[in-house]
Amino acid sequence: MQTKTTKTILLNEWRLLAADRTLRIVLPLFVVLFAYALANGMAWVRFQEHTVQVVRDGNVQRTDALERDLTAIENGGQPSSPFRDPRSANVMGGPRGARSVALDPGPLTALAVGQSDLLPYYYDVSIYTNESTFLQNGEVENPLNLMVGRFDLAFVAVYLLPLLVLAMSFNVLSGEREQGTLALTLSQPVSARRFVTVKLAFRALLVMAAAVGVSLAGILISGGFGSSGPLGRVLLWCAALTVYALFWFSLTAWINSLGRSSSWNATVLVGAWLVLVVVLPAAINIAAGLLHPLPSRVEMITAQREASNDAVNRRSELLARYLEDHPELAGGGDADEPNRAALAWAATDAVNRRLEAVSERHRMGRDEQNDLVRRYRFLSPALLVQELLIDAAGTGDARFARFQSQVRAFAGQWQSFFVPAILAGEKMSADVLPTLPDFNFVDESLGDVGQRATVPLSALIILVGLVGVGAWVGLGRVRGAG
Amino acid sequence: MIRHIVRKEFMDVVRDGRFRWCAALVGALLLVSLGTGWVQSRNAQKELAAAQATARDHWESQGEKNPHSAAHYGVYAFKPRLALSFVDEGVDPYTGTSVFLEAHRQNDFLLRPAQDATPAQRIGALTAAQVLQHLVPLLIILLTFGALAGERERGTLRQLLATGIGRLELAMGKALGVAAALALLLVPAAVVGAAAIVVGSPGPATSPLVRGAVLAGIYLAYFATFIGLSLAVSARAPSARTALVVLLAVWVVNGLVAPRVAVDFSKWLYPTPSAVEFAHNLEQEMADGVEGVDRPDRAAVTQNLLAQYNLENVEDLPINAIGVFLQESEKFGNQIFDRNYGALWDTFERQGYVHEALAVTAPLLAVRTLSMGLAGTDVEQHRHFAIAAEEYRRDLVERLNGDLTENSRTGEVYLATADFWSQMPPFRYDAPEVSWVLKNRVLSLLMLGLWLAAAFVAATYAVRRAEVA
Repeated sequence: MQTKTTKTILLNEWRLLAADRTLRIVLPLFVVLFAYALANGMAWVRFQEHTVQVVRDGNVQRTDALERDLTAIENGGQPSSPFRDPRSANVMGGPRGARSVALDPGPLTALAVGQSDLLPYYYDVSIYTNESTFLQNGEVENPLNLMVGRFDLAFVAVYLLPLLVLAMSFNVLSGEREQGTLALTLSQPVSARRFVTVKLAFRALLVMAAAVGVSLAGILISGGFGSSGPLGRVLLWCAALTVYALFWFSLTAWINSLGRSSSWNATVLVGAWLVLVVVLPAAINIAAGLLHPLPSRVEMITAQREASNDAVNRRSELLARYLEDHPELAGGGDADEPNRAALAWAATDAVNRRLEAVSERHRMGRDEQNDLVRRYRFLSPALLVQELLIDAAGTGDARFARFQSQVRAFAGQWQSFFVPAILAGEKMSADVLPTLPDFNFVDESLGDVGQRATVPLSALIILVGLVGVGAWVGLGRVRGAG
Repeated sequence: MIRHIVRKEFMDVVRDGRFRWCAALVGALLLVSLGTGWVQSRNAQKELAAAQATARDHWESQGEKNPHSAAHYGVYAFKPRLALSFVDEGVDPYTGTSVFLEAHRQNDFLLRPAQDATPAQRIGALTAAQVLQHLVPLLIILLTFGALAGERERGTLRQLLATGIGRLELAMGKALGVAAALALLLVPAAVVGAAAIVVGSPGPATSPLVRGAVLAGIYLAYFATFIGLSLAVSARAPSARTALVVLLAVWVVNGLVAPRVAVDFSKWLYPTPSAVEFAHNLEQEMADGVEGVDRPDRAAVTQNLLAQYNLENVEDLPINAIGVFLQESEKFGNQIFDRNYGALWDTFERQGYVHEALAVTAPLLAVRTLSMGLAGTDVEQHRHFAIAAEEYRRDLVERLNGDLTENSRTGEVYLATADFWSQMPPFRYDAPEVSWVLKNRVLSLLMLGLWLAAAFVAATYAVRRAEVA
């Protein structure tokens, strides 16, 4: 009996929706928007992939050039200038032999551009890499375009998807009442709960089929699903999308259960969208800017300046102290007659230490501020889902921070390789080239992503639960004749 | 008669609880965003001014040094916050705040504040401009969607017209009533804004006040456009509900969809190179030169000098040949920089035109451009500053090379005295005048004018033909 009623409701629902002119326009319009957003995201991924390739090709070209020069010198040639002599460790390890490291686009970047247009995804690592390297800008991009942001699936999902949900279901119950069909329907052996749930579930299926369908199509076209990592991310993406849509469906169910008119429902629901998606995130940002202002980067420039002035004046002293600290590096170098490169390195190293201290302080301040701002996101489901979506896509700040910290570690390795040679005044040969340290990015495991997602996803689910309970209780009170 | 309509509409709106709530919310957001914007921009300006002073200190106190070493030591320029940036921070979070000026190269601006913020702060940054561009139009829609459709639904439209009032007069009355209600919100904000400009300006506040006045005019035109559009839709829509749905759709396209679509279009039409390709190209041209711009050759420069002075040996030259060569290299580099950075900035400018042209679909795009322009926080004024900084760099390096050339001989060890550095003029930046801004933004002015005219025509037309019942 129960399944039969359900079937009847579903069948009628299908007929109703098929006959609804607005829906016939709105639903295809959304599929078009999704597809457009996806095409956009994929174009961005292609750009990034091409760029990463160019960056990596640069390594090959530089290594080839060094090898050519070194072989030429071995065969009796002369370097073009002592500052470009690849036999010097500070030249081979410096900008001439710099190793470019790049971060592949996040597995689902085509779905959510996220922070990937703003944060740097490639660096040149050399012995001179220090904290100021990480101050550099990301991709060349018009600041105006950065300010506005991209039309990607995440944008459509966060801002526009709720509007689709509202347009489809704001009068799911009130419409029936206004047409006079509610009393008739509820005179059948079906409860208002079951009736509304089945109707909304059907609509939810349609919406999710469109949203998830386009997402999956995008991932398939852009050749995702390759390894196991993306699969988990895809699941998380779909879960976040589904829970967010469910939030809006349960909200419409709740508002409908209050028994007011369709136009009242529409006004309240659009108001809720405005407050939750537009006003609250904005208000949160005002509060964040006021209560937890970002520490400024400007002081880093001044600090860097002062540190390098100081260091240049005390080079010899610094070198002596450096060798005292690192007797194992003293090698063949004589502390009484240090070479020029060693002196320069001692100064560089002193500047780097000072910069690290300033940068560390700044980073702590920023992380503290960001953590505080992150707390407020629980006030707005839009902010929660935005974070989940870009994190699942691999374009959130966590993955970039991970990249940066691994680049930092790699720069340390690079320095450890060349510094002893600089201090000892050792000459490099072509044989060294294949033994140089290599950068391999260790991407986030599914566990890392899942762990970060747990709290926001649970919060979103709890929110859906609360609103759902409200709807459930409200629908229990609905009487056909009311 | 029209006075009665205005008064009735005004009282209706002001007595409506929903309006009070919405207006209180929007008003509060507007005042708070003005306040926080002002505090933040003042703090930032203080810090930037202090950093600029410190940078000058470092420059002046570098002691005895070869002028070319000093050119390598360089100096930092910090982009000041203009008086009106608290109203509209524009692209400021996405442009760097500081640039290093040194010998041989033009550097990129560093330190984009947005890079340090969370992604949430990116989607929902709220400034007074955002409130004015997004939330006030929404308020206007809520106030006017029922203005005529509602009267018709209640059957009062027939009564009203029976009193003999003209349709246009009625519509004008409605529009003015809504405008009067909005004024309750906007006039205090404008007063607070003007006060903040006067208090916040370091120098004489006339120029910022002029900019502020034009800005206010722009926003008024924008609001008038929305009032006109809303009235037109309200007159023609079969029901108040339909009017609301249509107007909300317009609002979503105007504020959410069109701006982002403009980003994609601008990138498709005028793609930018990747940072690595840009750098690579620059490096290549610096190494090899391009057609018509050749890398100076040191030997050739020396030969020229010897020929000019009719001498045989470099040591006999009364000037330093290296200084001359360095300056020749600067000139060469500057041409390469102008080519590369110029092309990039031109691409940005063309992308900006795409945003402006697409204002055909959304008046917000025109207003946003004008608002950022007048607040001094658009891409054009960033470029204006970048050019000023670059000109200062070129001038400074030329002076230093000149000193080296004039006061030393080739091959001689030469150190400029410790007091030499303070003779170099400090970096000073003058923001462009309002007329410069408006001249660049003619397209947006035109678009906004078109929208205003279109809204007026649409409202007149729709009201003339509105069904009475």
